[in-house]
Amino acid sequence: MKISIQNLQLKYGSFTAIENLNLDIEDGEALVLLGQSGCGKTSTMRCIAGLEEPTSGRIIIDDIVVFDSEKGINLPPNKRNVGMVFQSYAVWPHMTVAQNVAYSLKRKKLATKEIDERVTEALTLVGLDQFAERGASLLSGGQMQRVALARSLVMRPSVLMLDEPLSNLDARLRDRLRVELREIQLKLGLTCVYVTHDQHEAFALADRIALLQGGRIVQMGAPRHMYEAPASASIAHFLGVSNIMECTEITAADGQTAARIAASDLTIHATQPPAQAALSPKVCIRAEDLQVTAAPTGSVNSWPGTVRVAGFQGNDVRYAVELEAGPELDVLGGLKRGEQHNVGDRVWVTVNAREVQILPAEVFA
Amino acid sequence: MSLKTPTRTTAAEARHPSNSAQGSHRPARALAVLKKNTSGLVVLIILSVLVVLPLGLVLLAAFSDSVPRPGSISLGGLTLSNLALLATPEAFGALVNSLMVGTGSALIALLIGAFLAFVCARSDAPWRKFIFFIGMAPMFIPALVGALAWSLLSSPSAGYINILLRDLGIDAAINIYSLPGLVFVLGIFYAPYAFLLLHSSLSMMNADLEEAATVHGAPLRTMLRTVTLPLALPAILGSAVLVFALTMENFPVAQVIGNPAGVDTLPTYIYRLMSATPAKSNQAASVAVILTVALMAVTVIQQRIINKRKFTTMTGKGNRPRQVPLRKLRWPFTLLAVGYFAVSVVLPMLALLTASMQATPFVSSISQLLEANSLSFAKLLEVLGSNDFQLALKNSVLVALIAAFAGTTLSFIASYVRYRTKSRTGRLIELVAMTPLAVPAIVMGIGLLWTWLLLPLPIYGTLAILAVACVAVFLPQGYRGVSASMLQMDQDLEDSAVMLGAGRARSVVDVTLPLMRVGITSSFLLFLMLSMRELSASIFLFTSNTRILSILVFDNFDNGQSQAAAAVSVLYCLVIGILAVIAQKAGGERKTKS
Ligand SMILES: Nc1ncnc2c1ncn2[C@@H]1O[C@H](COP(=O)(O)OP(=O)(O)OP(=O)(O)O)[C@@H](O)[C@H]1O
Ligand SMILES: [Mg+2]
Repeated sequence: MKISIQNLQLKYGSFTAIENLNLDIEDGEALVLLGQSGCGKTSTMRCIAGLEEPTSGRIIIDDIVVFDSEKGINLPPNKRNVGMVFQSYAVWPHMTVAQNVAYSLKRKKLATKEIDERVTEALTLVGLDQFAERGASLLSGGQMQRVALARSLVMRPSVLMLDEPLSNLDARLRDRLRVELREIQLKLGLTCVYVTHDQHEAFALADRIALLQGGRIVQMGAPRHMYEAPASASIAHFLGVSNIMECTEITAADGQTAARIAASDLTIHATQPPAQAALSPKVCIRAEDLQVTAAPTGSVNSWPGTVRVAGFQGNDVRYAVELEAGPELDVLGGLKRGEQHNVGDRVWVTVNAREVQILPAEVFA
Repeated sequence: MSLKTPTRTTAAEARHPSNSAQGSHRPARALAVLKKNTSGLVVLIILSVLVVLPLGLVLLAAFSDSVPRPGSISLGGLTLSNLALLATPEAFGALVNSLMVGTGSALIALLIGAFLAFVCARSDAPWRKFIFFIGMAPMFIPALVGALAWSLLSSPSAGYINILLRDLGIDAAINIYSLPGLVFVLGIFYAPYAFLLLHSSLSMMNADLEEAATVHGAPLRTMLRTVTLPLALPAILGSAVLVFALTMENFPVAQVIGNPAGVDTLPTYIYRLMSATPAKSNQAASVAVILTVALMAVTVIQQRIINKRKFTTMTGKGNRPRQVPLRKLRWPFTLLAVGYFAVSVVLPMLALLTASMQATPFVSSISQLLEANSLSFAKLLEVLGSNDFQLALKNSVLVALIAAFAGTTLSFIASYVRYRTKSRTGRLIELVAMTPLAVPAIVMGIGLLWTWLLLPLPIYGTLAILAVACVAVFLPQGYRGVSASMLQMDQDLEDSAVMLGAGRARSVVDVTLPLMRVGITSSFLLFLMLSMRELSASIFLFTSNTRILSILVFDNFDNGQSQAAAAVSVLYCLVIGILAVIAQKAGGERKTKS
């Protein structure tokens, strides 16, 4: 179902949690709300669900105006056919797992047989069919999260909203459920809104990502687009770009841009034209785009330095290299691809000028 | 019961929002605001009738020359002449006595409570479990009964202790009918409040803080003085002020002990003015205003201290706090605690039992009581079989049950509006619900009397008005219990039921109520136990058909029938004891379940 949010504003007292939010979600689309803790993700969801009454704005779900501050329309949550998995799971401890999952079906007064079938189906889907008769207070955190998921799926909502649905699962289960969630969503053609602060999860689940900062959407787009072209240094930082440096001076000549890094002798070259008149521009480089070698590579961006820390991470090694020109860089070196270096080694760090981004510190939507 | 009234819109209306005229937006919004606050407003109206109106009428009467009656309520007869009474030596004396009684009994209660709490929570004295019981037990004896028992024990002429002293040839008599006697009785029967507050503070104290002191080389004595005492200080002050407030407004003890001695406190003075013929209601009201203002001041101080306590004390975690080795004092301390038990429970109960069983009304020596046939169960059985007692018992239980049910329901709805809706009435509701904490029960009783004579509902003269009084007087305790338990419950639990298609009311029934079961039952039992003991407000509200146990005891005592009063008291305590055991059972069950 299509969701359209227009000029949404939500205040808690004098604190503005959501500011002028506009968002259209297509039928069958999976949208991920991504952002730091406290940026208003849960609040946005609660507004769509009808649990929170926005101060102003309009929300339309499936062509029905469910909220309109000007006309005084506010449809109660149970009339919106929206499913929601809460960040706190909100699994009821005084019921069994099966009773939890069957709740919405009982409210719809379905036949007992159908209820049983659908409950079993949903529990099997999340791998909890063995636990149907277990008291819900006896479950582990991850199991509760799966009960919450099953409980919402079983009612076949037109829109499913999930608030950090995978945050408490162990890595393997999370990977599995992430794929399964995506499969279920595509199979049922569900319109989904996910909330997460984990960018990997966002990339895997989303058709589109809306990035929130301080109650505003600061950037929106397909995962790939977000990854390749973050709109600001702070977004880049949030998306996992670990080398972000302030620069003092930017000069452009024959398709090349040169940025001078503050408080150092370092100049970094980029192919990207300088952002026009951006406020306090910053140079952003991903750790995985940097390369560590024992000898200089001859590139324009190749600087000598010393390995300060080398952290083994399984597939790769994370180095902290202190450049002779001043800054310390975070570098991800593949174990299989490249050479190995030890703490104290003198090395050269190289980056392709195409991978260097010069971004404004912040953008305001 | 619709707690939150959502604005309903049919899908058809919603689909064509443009149909509605632009001009209609403003009224629609106003209507939405009104609907959002409906339940809050209803609760506020109920609370106003329960609390605000009675207080208002007392205030009005204090500045008026007539009593608020149907048809005669007006601002015409406003006068300050009632206040002239306040300048009389009688009124001033009552005020001074009240303050002395409050201060004295707070000191005694604090000493006893602190001693018991320390021995029980932090020492290695033997029988600590029993000492905990000792600390709580007097709570189950209504103050009225305790006072009655002590007047039996040491009234100057016929008190058992004085008879015994005479038997032993000791030429000294204890006269409980005196200001010190009053302070003593109030002190021992309110010590449990100090004990419970201090005990929880001492046993929850974060052991790490104390250990830090010992690690840094402080000897035990220094640690107690520099760390433990300052940490417990808010609880000490808080409980002292609490006991001060409770004893200052106490009516039954002051009446039973103070009246024969000619010692008036503000509550007994108010009662005397009200029961004079003709009743000096307006003067009573002006004294009531003074007492209320005093209590409000004390309550505000007490709440300040308690609120501060939240920040200064201790987490519930950490290892058990250190025990202080008493060495030679282990047994003496335990014996001291047992001594308090004797004075607060054993002697009073023995006195009541003896008084209700003695064959002759006058006893000249203790040995007389030991003779054959001098004691019998005849009187107890007679009282047990009497219509008066059975009616009062039935009334008491009925009133307590109705009050507990209505009070808990009201507390729940008020807490819900306050903490689960965005209704603007929430804060005001909380303020009004907590107000009776600062209103003496006796003042509440007068206010309720006038309120229900005035209102067109025919409740006066029925049991319902007694239940209403109990709800009004004990609402703060109930509201606090229920709202604390509501705050502990994550709101998402209820919201998720709404998301799964249940209406708001249905979600409350399916999820919120079951999950708050523990808090709600505790509040119910609290209302029940407190209502069983209530006298001060009921004394203005009962009629001959609606006497409850406390009134029956009081009436018998007032009419000089102390044997009947003693017999009813014994049975009264028995009933309360049985209820307490049932409550304990229910509590134990809850613990094993959760
Ligand atoms: N009931 C409330 N009253 C006042 N402020 C609130 C309330 N609920 C949320 N806030 C504030 O609104 C802001 C947004 O909260 P929200 O729960 O939407 O954050 P979030 O993005 O979901 O964060 P997280 O990732 O930690 O869950 C926060 O700063 C929070 O403190
Ligand atoms: Mg959140």
